Amino acid sequence: MTNYPHATLQEYGYKDYRILQKIYKVLSVVAVILIVLMLYISIIVLAIQSVNSSVSVTNFDSFTLKWYAEMFSVRSLATAIKNTVITSIVATLLATILGTLIAVGIYSYAKKTRQKIMLLNNIPLLNADIVTGVSLMLVFSLLLPIFPYIFGPTTLIMAHLFFTLPYVILSVLPKLKETDPNLMDAALDLGVKPYKALLKVIVPAIMAGIFSGMLLAFTMSVDDFVISYFTTGNGFDNLSIWVYGSIGRRSLTPSVYAFSTLLTLMTLAIMILYQFLMKRGKKHA
Amino acid sequence: MNKEFKVLAKPYIAWLFILAILPIFVMLILSFMFSEGLSFGESYFTFDQFALLGEDSTLSAFGNSMMYATLTTVISLVLGYFVAYNVFKSKFKNKFIVLTIFILPMWSNLLLRTEALGNLMEHNNIMTDLLSQMGIGLSIGIKGSPLAVIIGLVFTYLPFMILPVYTALEKIDYSLEEAALDLGLTNMQKFWKVIFSLSLKGVATGSIMVFLPSMSGFAIPEILGAGNILLIGNVIEQSFRNMDYNFGALLSIVILIFIIGALYVVSKVDKEGETLL
Repeated sequence: MTNYPHATLQEYGYKDYRILQKIYKVLSVVAVILIVLMLYISIIVLAIQSVNSSVSVTNFDSFTLKWYAEMFSVRSLATAIKNTVITSIVATLLATILGTLIAVGIYSYAKKTRQKIMLLNNIPLLNADIVTGVSLMLVFSLLLPIFPYIFGPTTLIMAHLFFTLPYVILSVLPKLKETDPNLMDAALDLGVKPYKALLKVIVPAIMAGIFSGMLLAFTMSVDDFVISYFTTGNGFDNLSIWVYGSIGRRSLTPSVYAFSTLLTLMTLAIMILYQFLMKRGKKHA
Repeated sequence: MNKEFKVLAKPYIAWLFILAILPIFVMLILSFMFSEGLSFGESYFTFDQFALLGEDSTLSAFGNSMMYATLTTVISLVLGYFVAYNVFKSKFKNKFIVLTIFILPMWSNLLLRTEALGNLMEHNNIMTDLLSQMGIGLSIGIKGSPLAVIIGLVFTYLPFMILPVYTALEKIDYSLEEAALDLGLTNMQKFWKVIFSLSLKGVATGSIMVFLPSMSGFAIPEILGAGNILLIGNVIEQSFRNMDYNFGALLSIVILIFIIGALYVVSKVDKEGETLL
């Protein structure tokens, strides 16, 4: 009996990559964290600028919260914030209600027609902001002979409604597809009128879609600059237009950094609270 | 759904025709005319704008737009796919938190964020000041350079790439990966042949969502390029501000051609626009 040596794994052509894989894993975690940090760097800079006692954006003097206290003391900024809030809330509410009804309408069409309507619906979504802005400005200008003072809050809200509706429709439609087609028939069989059935049966079933559509619409509306820039009238500035003007005049005040930081913190708090409530809800259910 | 509800969509179709389709025709007419703004009193038919289209400044703006948008899309695709894939592979399965992390930066005003990024790109800024107070000297002054604009575009639009790719990756059945490994593919082959090809829908949507705004935007190049870099969006904005509606309309039509291309791709990849969100 000869004692042959055992073949090792290497001799079968097996290469040990475990160490390399470990290194790759650590490196990729670091890279992901760095990229996410880069997404947040501008917000961090804004936060630092908002607690700087000096107006300068190049020197950090000392820590202060006075800009938070004086947030609304700059008149034009306060008006711009008010305008943004009013425009976004009105546009979002209108878009949510109308968008839900329109989505139900689109869903009642046969599949072929539905796809054609969706192609139209995607235009405002994919169109370049500048083309949308210019287009709307042209249409509103055509109305000038009939309504000479149309440019202002009316056009701004219409423009925001125009580009937020597709988001609501796109979030509601998939939820409509998930609902049981018999739900509606059952309600009708039980003697409920169609529109009442829509309100009592379908709307609760698609609530999640309506809600996420509303959130998206608000996000897009609050942050919009280009479309608002072309469709608003003289003197009705929203926050973005105010910021753009101030950057041009080099007259940004730290109050706006404070407002922005506060808004980010509030959003974060709401998100965390929502997550917390969802977790608790799941435990109790 | 009840056929009766079709009525609900009809006004919307009319609304889209008036606000999305009609202006395209208005722009087409404007681009063949000379007019004082929108008053057609002394307007006449002309091809003058088309001559402007061939001018060096316009062509270089177009070239810039294409180059910056392509570079931004490619860089965002590499970084975005990398981030989405690693988040998807990690044990971190809470989609709500993932979405929040990438959407939260978008909630602060885009222009403010860009201005802050611009400040950070100056030789002297608040970060270098804080660092020098701690005894670290560091200074990078890239504001006004092409690199600054690219960085700004990438970090503004990166979430638009990460989210669709992540959504597409999430839908891949894990048993497919197991099957690929069982059949003898290496990890690398499994990634290319199974995971990447199944996530192409998300890649297509993400690329469009990054390419179009970076091609046509005008605020980011204006702030970060410090006026040195003109993209096509800047030229359109300037011509409308100078009441040259005709040239602006013509340029918008050119951009629209790209948008129609994008619409076509989306309608092929995804018939009812489900990956657009």
